[in-house]
Amino acid sequence: MSYPKFEVIEQPAGRLRLITDEQCWLEFKPVWASPLSHPGKYLALLDGKDKEILIVNEPDELDEGTRKLLISELERRVLTAQITEIIEAQTEFGVTYWLTETSRGRKEFVTQSLQENALWLAPHQLLLIDVNGNRFEIPDTQALDPESQKKLFATV
Amino acid sequence: MALAAAEKEKSPEKILLSLTADLTESAEFGERLLEITQKSVRVCLPDGMPVQVIDLEDVASAKSESLVSGGRILATLKTGEQIPVVSYTLTHAEVFSDAAHIIDEMAKGESPFIALEQKVSRCPKCERLLPEDTTVCPRCVSRSKAMLRIAKYLVPYKKQALRLASIALVSTLMTLLPGLIMKQIIEAYENSLGESELFKWMGIWAGILFTMVVLKVLNDRLMVFLAANISADLKNATYRAIEFLRLSYFDRKPVGAIASRVSMDTDRIWHFLVDGLPFLFNNALILIGVIVILMVQNWFLAVCIIMPFPFIILISMKVWRPISNLFHRASQKVARVHMQLHESLSGIRVVKAFAREDHEYKKFIQRNTDFRDASLYADQRWITAHGTMNLVIQSGTIVTWTVGGLMLYRNQISMGEFILFNAYLGLAYGPLHWFAQINNWFSRAMAGAERIFEIMDMPREIVEGEGEQHTVQGSVEFEKVRFGYDKSNPILKEVNFKAEAGQMIGLVGHSGAGKSTTINLICRFYEPNAGRILIDGKDIQDLSLQDFRSQIGIVLQEPFLFHGTIAENIRYGRPDASIEEIMRAARAANAHDFILAKPEGYDTMVGERGVRLSGGEKQRISIARAILHDPQILIFDEATSSVDVETEKQIQEAIQRLVKGRTTFAIAHRLSTLRSADRLIVLDRGKIIEEGSHEELMAKKGDFYKLVQTQSQVNEIIGIA
Ligand SMILES: Nc1ncnc2c1ncn2[C@@H]1O[C@H](COP(=O)(O)OP(=O)(O)OP(=O)(O)O)[C@@H](O)[C@H]1O
Ligand SMILES: [Mg+2]
Repeated sequence: MSYPKFEVIEQPAGRLRLITDEQCWLEFKPVWASPLSHPGKYLALLDGKDKEILIVNEPDELDEGTRKLLISELERRVLTAQITEIIEAQTEFGVTYWLTETSRGRKEFVTQSLQENALWLAPHQLLLIDVNGNRFEIPDTQALDPESQKKLFATV
Repeated sequence: MALAAAEKEKSPEKILLSLTADLTESAEFGERLLEITQKSVRVCLPDGMPVQVIDLEDVASAKSESLVSGGRILATLKTGEQIPVVSYTLTHAEVFSDAAHIIDEMAKGESPFIALEQKVSRCPKCERLLPEDTTVCPRCVSRSKAMLRIAKYLVPYKKQALRLASIALVSTLMTLLPGLIMKQIIEAYENSLGESELFKWMGIWAGILFTMVVLKVLNDRLMVFLAANISADLKNATYRAIEFLRLSYFDRKPVGAIASRVSMDTDRIWHFLVDGLPFLFNNALILIGVIVILMVQNWFLAVCIIMPFPFIILISMKVWRPISNLFHRASQKVARVHMQLHESLSGIRVVKAFAREDHEYKKFIQRNTDFRDASLYADQRWITAHGTMNLVIQSGTIVTWTVGGLMLYRNQISMGEFILFNAYLGLAYGPLHWFAQINNWFSRAMAGAERIFEIMDMPREIVEGEGEQHTVQGSVEFEKVRFGYDKSNPILKEVNFKAEAGQMIGLVGHSGAGKSTTINLICRFYEPNAGRILIDGKDIQDLSLQDFRSQIGIVLQEPFLFHGTIAENIRYGRPDASIEEIMRAARAANAHDFILAKPEGYDTMVGERGVRLSGGEKQRISIARAILHDPQILIFDEATSSVDVETEKQIQEAIQRLVKGRTTFAIAHRLSTLRSADRLIVLDRGKIIEEGSHEELMAKKGDFYKLVQTQSQVNEIIGIA
């Protein structure tokens, strides 16, 4: 372990505190250093000025209480949705209208110029960015049902 | 959805503000209402059921927090407890960050002005989502309106346009004649009218042919003339409109995307005008002519020809729709190839320096292969579809021939009529191949036209002649200025300061503190989100923008030189300056000597971005440009960032000479260079944390002192005294 021993507690409600041997941080936030290519690994904690306090390579090794608090805070902070099904993908006038089923429920969104806004992160991992900058991830295009795959590949 | 606070009644529970968020408590997509009253902040279900009510009295402060793909409002209670109020995706981030600010002010007992508009995200007509910051729904754009607007560009050429229309009319009608002549010839044969009859008709036919060719040439020449002129006029008008757009528009859009509006979108219109419109017009006329003539000759035959039309059109739409998507997909892939090419070529030095040629080659191959596959797929599908269409159209021919032939056999029509029928069959059916495509062209051209008109209709930065002409004395005051490039992420928070006329103000702070941003606001490149900027006590927004800017001189952090000679670049702000004046300015900027040393002196061409000059040379030229401009307010954003110590000294001297009697704002990372400033303003994360003269701040041993300390330590390490 390359980071100092630390603990995260919730006090008062809704407010996380980070306690290391030397210091107690009232204002800090957890972020994923590499959420797309290394999901679930490399959890960094930043202070109120966005300076790195520490980084945990294997969050699974953290003690249960701290890990739970951090992960649930992260879940609140990362609002990217995973697409599980493509119900409709229609390109008209250079604009693509999507109707999808995602990890956060059904969602309709629009993308423009897919050459910039459909990013292949890996051969089967796709990130779609809608016109407002919202992110929609398809972690494994091959895991989609055949119908969705067909619609996807007719579009991107 | 906006309610002005002024309108609020006494009732504390009256809803002052109601906004719709698009995420639930468990961060799933779904609607939630955020309602703010005098007394409380409520989050409700879409049906109005409250899920959370927070008493404003309990709230100490509130803020919005940017999250990945969205954001949330957090309220800190007086107990220290922090509660999430509501979450939203980026679609609504802007308005909710303003709402957080309002809650914060209300919690602190102030009564803020509440006037928030939530962005419409759906087309009010068809309920479809709207693409990016446009209010134009590409599906609902009124085609006829856009067409009319393009037609306005015809006005200067109305003579040519009228001539074109009449020529087109005549020549199209002439295409109908050969069929009739064939019929006459056959009938003359049947009635044994002799060979002279044949020669007569053939003579007429030859005459028609000749006239048609001449008309066609005239027609096409006129058409090209009109299209080229309209497209050029559109390009000029678009460019002019873009020039005056607010800078914030350029931040959000890559330059490439904006440039493509000028070139691609106008080209689409051009193509449509040259290829699509005449095609549509001619063939529609022919079709009408065919139907009318056949109706007169034999209505049953006319019906036979028209009958299969609806089916053919229906089928062709079915066939083409997916194909046009495929072509669109292929065009995206080719754009990606271009992007890759552009990127690796502009970075060729880095590529070579790291010996990554193979890596870049692999990336190129990858994208090129993608494009090859996509376009191959599209082309092959197209060929198949085209074949299918052929089959459908040919079977139309089979059907009509069967009917027509049968009528001929049964002597219900004459041989002449049959020949006519046959000739017109080709005229009517030939263009059918392309009719479905026309709709596609048309949609694209209209979408392009809409995008162009949208830019033209966008709020402009300058309304010519508007605002007060004012000779600037030089005092600059910031009054509670709040600003963020993206409203949800404030960069300057409550900045207050006053610079008296003639003072030199140094702006210092860490990278990203908001120094350049402050300067952008002084130049009125952006408008503050809240607060005012006063120039000589007058609100900057009341001054004529162009007049005001012509009295500011700025040396940007990244000096930009236009393609042209050094002299041209120096006199950019004052094109009438003489060469003596240019040289005087260059001397004052300590640029004269190095310019003389160049082979062509002041006539040396500097490349597109001044590539043949060093960083310090470019900076000195842009200082000379500012000097020649002779402004009342001078701004130096890191004018000495990319030069060595000796050159910096020279530039410093130049600046010293220049600042007398002018209000000057200077940003410098090397703090020692700001020693001569009347006052220093220390910015940190968008707030002023210290203010005072160099000595005062050093004596105070606060943040500025610390900055200086770390810097002199660093300088010792790297060996600068
Ligand atoms: N055009 C822009 N659009 C969006 N954000 C911007 C833009 N320009 C700057 N920013 C952001 O605003 C913040 C302040 O930037 P600014 O350029 O004012 O900093 P600065 O104090 O001049 O820093 P430096 O010393 O590095 O030049 C930074 O976080 C930066 O990322
Ligand atoms: Mg800067």
